[in-house]
Amino acid sequence: MKVSYKWVKEFIENFDEDIETVVEKLNETGLESTYEKFGNYIPNLTTVKILSIEKHPEKDNLLVCRATDGSKEYQVITAAKNVKEGDIVVLAKEGAVINGIEIKPVKFGSLTSEGMFLSFEELGIEIPSEGLFILGKDAPIGVDASKLLDLGEDYIIELEITPNRGDALSVRGLAREIAAIFGKKRTEKLPVVSILQENIPEIQVETDKLNRYRAVIVENVKVNVSPLDIQLKLIKSGQKPINNIVDITNFILLQEGQPLHAFDLDKLEGEIHIRQASEGEKIVALDGNEYTLNKNDIVIADDKKAVAIAGIIGGDNTKVDENTKNVLLEAANFDPSSVRKTAKRLGISTDSSYRFERGVDIENLPNAQDKAIELISSTAGGRAVGESDVHINVYKPKQVKLREKQIKRVLGAEIPKEKCSELLNRLEIPTEIVEDGTLSEIPAFRAYDLEREIDLVEEVGRLTGFNNLEETYPSISTENFNYPDYFKLEEKIRKFFISNGLTEVLTYTFSSEEDHQALGLPKPDIEIINYILKSQSLMRNNLAVSLINTLKENIKYGSKDLSVFETGTVFFDDHEEYRIGILLTGKFIDGYTFSKEKQQLNTTEKWDFLKVKGLINSFFEYIGIKNLNVNLPQLQFLNKYEAVKFLKGNTELGYIGKIHPKTAKNLEIPEDTYIGEFYLKYVSRDLKEPDHKPYIYDLIKEKEEIVYNEIPKFPSVKRDLAFEAEEDFSVGTLLDEIPKTCKLIKKVKLFDVYFLGNGRKSIAVSVEFNAGDRSLTDEEVNQMVEDLVNKLNEKFGLKLRK
Amino acid sequence: MQIKENIEALEKEYQEKLKNIKDLKQLQDIKTELLGKKGKITSLFKLLKEVPPEKKKEVGALINSVKAKFEDILKEFEKQLTEKELEEKLKKSKIDITLPGAWVSPGAPHPVTATLRYISDIFVSMGFKIEEGPEVELEEYNFDMLNIPKDHPAREMQDTFFINKKGYVLRTHTSPVQIRAMLKQKPPLAVIAPGKVYRKDLDPTHSPMFHQIEGLVVDENITFRDLKGILKIFLESVFGKNIPIRFRPSYFPFTEPSAEVDIGCTVCKGKGCRVCKNTGWLEILGCGMVDPNVFEAVGIDTEKYTGFAFGLGIERITMLKYQIPDIRLLFSNDMRFNLQFKGI
Ligand SMILES: [Zn+2]
Repeated sequence: MKVSYKWVKEFIENFDEDIETVVEKLNETGLESTYEKFGNYIPNLTTVKILSIEKHPEKDNLLVCRATDGSKEYQVITAAKNVKEGDIVVLAKEGAVINGIEIKPVKFGSLTSEGMFLSFEELGIEIPSEGLFILGKDAPIGVDASKLLDLGEDYIIELEITPNRGDALSVRGLAREIAAIFGKKRTEKLPVVSILQENIPEIQVETDKLNRYRAVIVENVKVNVSPLDIQLKLIKSGQKPINNIVDITNFILLQEGQPLHAFDLDKLEGEIHIRQASEGEKIVALDGNEYTLNKNDIVIADDKKAVAIAGIIGGDNTKVDENTKNVLLEAANFDPSSVRKTAKRLGISTDSSYRFERGVDIENLPNAQDKAIELISSTAGGRAVGESDVHINVYKPKQVKLREKQIKRVLGAEIPKEKCSELLNRLEIPTEIVEDGTLSEIPAFRAYDLEREIDLVEEVGRLTGFNNLEETYPSISTENFNYPDYFKLEEKIRKFFISNGLTEVLTYTFSSEEDHQALGLPKPDIEIINYILKSQSLMRNNLAVSLINTLKENIKYGSKDLSVFETGTVFFDDHEEYRIGILLTGKFIDGYTFSKEKQQLNTTEKWDFLKVKGLINSFFEYIGIKNLNVNLPQLQFLNKYEAVKFLKGNTELGYIGKIHPKTAKNLEIPEDTYIGEFYLKYVSRDLKEPDHKPYIYDLIKEKEEIVYNEIPKFPSVKRDLAFEAEEDFSVGTLLDEIPKTCKLIKKVKLFDVYFLGNGRKSIAVSVEFNAGDRSLTDEEVNQMVEDLVNKLNEKFGLKLRK
Repeated sequence: MQIKENIEALEKEYQEKLKNIKDLKQLQDIKTELLGKKGKITSLFKLLKEVPPEKKKEVGALINSVKAKFEDILKEFEKQLTEKELEEKLKKSKIDITLPGAWVSPGAPHPVTATLRYISDIFVSMGFKIEEGPEVELEEYNFDMLNIPKDHPAREMQDTFFINKKGYVLRTHTSPVQIRAMLKQKPPLAVIAPGKVYRKDLDPTHSPMFHQIEGLVVDENITFRDLKGILKIFLESVFGKNIPIRFRPSYFPFTEPSAEVDIGCTVCKGKGCRVCKNTGWLEILGCGMVDPNVFEAVGIDTEKYTGFAFGLGIERITMLKYQIPDIRLLFSNDMRFNLQFKGI
């Protein structure tokens, strides 16, 4: 809400604080606000009355006007369409500077223009409007227009309220708040109106979403330009003046916070009904849009048709226009949540709906409406001839007690009950002192947010000023000062990959069905209903989709090499998981070649399967998970001949592999891209974690502590052995088997794999024997080697090569 | 004395030869020429037979002294030449130390996770415990139990992503972890909950996914002043001692009284700039005293316990810390951005 500071000051007795202090205090006490100067003083502007308008003899689109400032006549040529004889407008005389251009007499064809009539925009006022600013008929002519319009004189306060402070959404409410902050008195001139009972509107209430409906018929109004004061206040609030009737309803809404609506009485047929809309009922609103309603929406209707969407916007069919003679002025109070639901569904927010949603003071309704009637009578003539007030939910003030000890418990400061009472009374919350605190009667304008003791603690606290409370330091009862195991593990993992040259990425957890389809992965379980982009409408069930998108983006940015990882969330119907995702492609050392005589060097290193697998082995070693098995992953997007799955026992811990060339081609990513995922932690949505298969985190928790083993006192004996095997025989099987055959074998190291042709290969290993407590003799070792060879021959048909 | 003259000539000749010697090979040749089996000095001993007996002793001593002399000289030459040759060999394989090394360069941590970690460290060292919760969260925990009933204007403060799983939403804040923590553990408790949150919003300062840290302290006699104390320690640790801090009353459904906390603009030091929209202040976090309705929802006695809670956006602090102008950069994963954060 934007309002003029001058306007607010009209409502506070003897108040002239500077704007900066006022806005600072508003912020400190809970109303977020800013201010700016209203326009800038422009010299050489005057007000003039249009005497005559003629078409330009030579130029079709121009008008030649004669205007007077009361003593001097001007000939002004304008292209504006909205000017009429008798209008009062602002004239920029010779010497005025408008939008950086100095005004001088200018010739249009054979005629000279002695100045320029101004629009809002040319006056430096931000109002979306075409044409000239037509001032109210009461505006004096021949005066300094900048001064008359307060340009550079007034300030505009812009208020952004929290949802609980609907009471501040008016000049009156803001004045009440400022008066309380500064300990001043709010003033108000009460309206004096007499309403006859000649033509009483008939009201039928057919819904329970209405609290009060008061309709007043005003006859014989003259629709015209509003008086300058009303125009100016609306303009300062960023609103365009329309005509006196409409302007007065907007003016009262801003001043009192009570939305009003004026219907053209002669366009209404029969009685007024406040009812549910029928399913599919349509209405063209004042904004020109047609809205389709349903049973949950409340409308104002006559016997034949809906004439307004209750509390939100009026209908075009009954709007006040220049020919309107008689009006029905509505002041109502609707159920906030009903207005909210309808406004939200229809996607409209009006000044009216904004206030109803946040709660409007039901008790100020007649006061606000009477002020409007008073203004209509004084500016548009007319007589109030009939009133009907259906008051369904009469406000019953609630008593709320505030204990001194509760202030102390919450704020940590002693604020005596006398002080509390004073502060609350300043806020116009009638409060008396009782034995252990205060007792308040909550007024209707705060009915929506003051209900409990804690609400009053807040009122006292904010007016006292949070910045005036001195800091204290609680002693925190805690079991430890350490990270939980999971966070330590995650940190360790990040450190490992970062030190090994991988950069950490942070991708959106959103994805699309196409992302998953491209990898042959199932469609994710969790779908966003109201997504922003279709491509971000599913919660991913794996990290590969996100990492591939990262790669694609970086290819766009011109980089071919990428080594990245992420620890991120993936989603399933009944749980979530934290995973580590890895994507590696191209070089991990972008080096150079070096040649000198016989020395040939290339420092570049590229990812290949064994390096990738080595990285993962090294990762598991780093976090202390030993004795893993490998297997082939069943993933369509991987090249099954260069992919591996890691298992601990039967538990799958993750996979990594080279992308399938077909997938690479489809996705337009390099063929040497390696993708992996490792399953870090199960995240439960229930308070109690259900049973689930183990994740890396669970293995870490169960990990055995490392205990020191004595270093062998006697040297090991090494034997190099080469076995001949089928070409398809897996080397890993041999390496795993050898230590199992004999307790004294301490280490096996592969040193050569050689393909012999004829479908056979040679696998050479170095085997280390140690008995621990003594030296082994040659004979003993020979015997063990022989046993080993026999066992391998029995089990796998391997032969020792000579 | 023929033989004596011979010796003198030999000595003279080889002293001359040794002057021009260049490498160990030449030295070896000379050594063989003089001291080999058929070497010139070795041959001198054969001439001794022809020397008259009375002179034999004298000549023999002379030959021996020449032999010893040359042996010493040659040894010295050998030492010098060996050293020279080693030096030459090392020099030949000399490396240009300004050549780039050939080891893998480390990757870069992500600034958001680094900031998250950094902030967690401060609270963990104060004795806060870390809690976490799922990102697909019960509506009941995300809203209702946090005193945000249906149709309340506050539900609109946070544009929610709704999902196809009934009763659940993408959590709009880390505050539901407060509920989880209080349902699991009785007071006293001091927890922080870092994590991802989701809101339907996208512009230079808003991202539909971002990170928050939530804090909660519940005990007997916890007051708003304690909240100020803890936040002062935190903000001074992040932004430096004596950073101006201001508490503005505000509104959050799950705290009352509620406040927004501003710090003096770190860019202009309070003078007013684009970043602080000329106010000299930067909004940094929201906080307040736990609303009694929240305590009632989780079954904590409101007459016995009080508590405070706070929540802050990690991206906002990351952006201030590294002067990043657009939140979308944080999720671009553009290596030209990410690699700038090596070593943080
Ligand atoms: Zn600044």
